[in-house]
Amino acid sequence: MRPTETAAVGLDTPWADLPALLLPAYGETWAMVGMVMALVILVGGATGVLLYNTDSRGLFPRPRLHGVVSWLVNMGRSLPFLVLMAAIIPLTKWVTGTTIGIAAAVVPMTLAGIPFFARLVQNALNDLPRENMAVGLVTGSSTGQIIRQTQLREALPGLTSAITLNTISMIEYSAIAGTIGAGGIGYLAVTYGYQRFDTHVMAATIVVLIITVQLVQFAGDRISRALLRP
Amino acid sequence: MIEIRNLHKSYSTGQGTVEVLKGIDLTIEQGAITAVVGPSGAGKTTLSHCISLLEKPTSGQVLVDGRNLSALSGQALRSERRAIGTIFQHSALLRRMTVAENVALPLRNLGVVHREMEDRVAELLDRVGLLHKANAYPGQLSGGQKQRVGIARALALRPRILLSDESTSGLDPESTQQILDLLDDVRTELGLSVILITHEMDVVRHVADQVAVLANGRVSEYGPIGALVADPQSGAGRQLLPVRALPLPAGFDYALSVSYRHGPVDPEWLTRLSTGLGVRVALLGGSVEAHGEAVLGRAEIGVAGRPEAEVRSYLEQLGLVADPRDPVSTAAAASTRTATAPPSEGAEREANEKIGVRA
Ligand SMILES: Nc1ncnc2c1ncn2[C@@H]1O[C@H](COP(=O)(O)OP(=O)(O)OP(=O)(O)O)[C@@H](O)[C@H]1O
Ligand SMILES: [Mg+2]
Repeated sequence: MRPTETAAVGLDTPWADLPALLLPAYGETWAMVGMVMALVILVGGATGVLLYNTDSRGLFPRPRLHGVVSWLVNMGRSLPFLVLMAAIIPLTKWVTGTTIGIAAAVVPMTLAGIPFFARLVQNALNDLPRENMAVGLVTGSSTGQIIRQTQLREALPGLTSAITLNTISMIEYSAIAGTIGAGGIGYLAVTYGYQRFDTHVMAATIVVLIITVQLVQFAGDRISRALLRP
Repeated sequence: MIEIRNLHKSYSTGQGTVEVLKGIDLTIEQGAITAVVGPSGAGKTTLSHCISLLEKPTSGQVLVDGRNLSALSGQALRSERRAIGTIFQHSALLRRMTVAENVALPLRNLGVVHREMEDRVAELLDRVGLLHKANAYPGQLSGGQKQRVGIARALALRPRILLSDESTSGLDPESTQQILDLLDDVRTELGLSVILITHEMDVVRHVADQVAVLANGRVSEYGPIGALVADPQSGAGRQLLPVRALPLPAGFDYALSVSYRHGPVDPEWLTRLSTGLGVRVALLGGSVEAHGEAVLGRAEIGVAGRPEAEVRSYLEQLGLVADPRDPVSTAAAASTRTATAPPSEGAEREANEKIGVRA
């Protein structure tokens, strides 16, 4: 889309009006990211645990299943987000009944986030000492106990870093999703900044995004470090 | 008691299958410490995994108190494997759990009630002398301390068998001694069978009652420490109590390799031999030490004045077995000597002192 004739250059939104514009959009961004992350942590986390444990050295080696899941995850990760978003429009429509708005953005974001997070979880688990699993086994623990105690709990610092990284990616994706009218900060940047050359809004969204990402990273690092044991 | 019967274990790799254990037969009596030694790659860890049921044998059986655990799976396997406590090489404590939580892990997963669990954990930590570290994290402990926590955890479910794969490797001598004393104590007090996998012969000699030598996936030697050391033909015996002897000095007729037999040995045998038979005796090397109630001893002597057969039968009466000196050990001794210092009276005296100190 090109800027229309009426959207003349220099018609910047007054600084004083920016909060009224930005705050609801910011809330929308977090609503999207929050919803997506909840799904991603659940499904992607489970997929990561599955990848780790179906591996030849995992708790229940299943080479064939591992291969299939690994292939699916790679497929999900091979498409750039914009392409994925466009490609799955029929699915998005079928799931949400619409192709625009927050609901419509959540579907491609979740679909992109799950394989990414699955690999991050698998990596975090791979960093654990291999003996952890043997400890679980020889102490007569159940599969669930072994996964919870010797895998997830021990990997918490690594998992926190994974969540941080994934959250930042989702903030970025939410901005891309703004182009299909998803709402949020990204939508603001596209409609005001890009289509109407509103430099005030453009600048404000950039600042907000930078600060947000910095804060998320900072908080993530702090939590991750707090979870480390001597 | 553990009976291992005709145990085979193969792994399939890219290049086909490798048979790591080729028919192991072993009986481990209740209350005994059995050492399993052998060169790297002999299959010791594989054997330990078959005993702790981390691996399923390809064929053969591991019977614990008469029951074949390797035939079990699922819930039955989970509860039966609690009869075996495992100590890992690098302690394998969970890093984000405190010492107390690590020891409590097996109890918690068994569903022991909280109150009872706390008491048991305190009792276990007290046994290994680390009650004051209950709230520390593994990262705050020394290697020896971590290993003791590992032992406490292994003991948590009151196992009948304690399995340790290289649990003292990489520890300093003092920590090693602490661990060994601890294992010896729990064996005596709790009547546990201990299987000690190690490559350190000193460790074996200090605590084990019997030793099995694994070579190329088979048990090449197996028996009580005393019997192996007393047998001049036993390679394991020579490794258990090595003697780095001097070459036969000029003026002596022949060298003999002497082992203390299992049973009473006259401590004055050297003097007896010399005065009783009227021969000249040179001590070329030797080592004598206490092993529980028994005495382990091996020596090499040079003799002049009487025929070999006569000397050997005389030594026999004193409780010693004598054989012509093993050519391998002579060669080894010769090569070490050239590498260090020429033979001298000093070296001989040193050998004598060694006997004196160790006896
Ligand atoms: N999972 C496996 N797959 C294929 N080969 C294996 C596997 N585990 C062990 N082996 C092979 O089996 C042989 C014995 O290994 P094992 O670890 O039991 O030896 P070890 O006696 O414990 O040696 P070390 O003293 O070095 O610990 C080795 O040649 C090893 O390469
Ligand atoms: Mg090994």
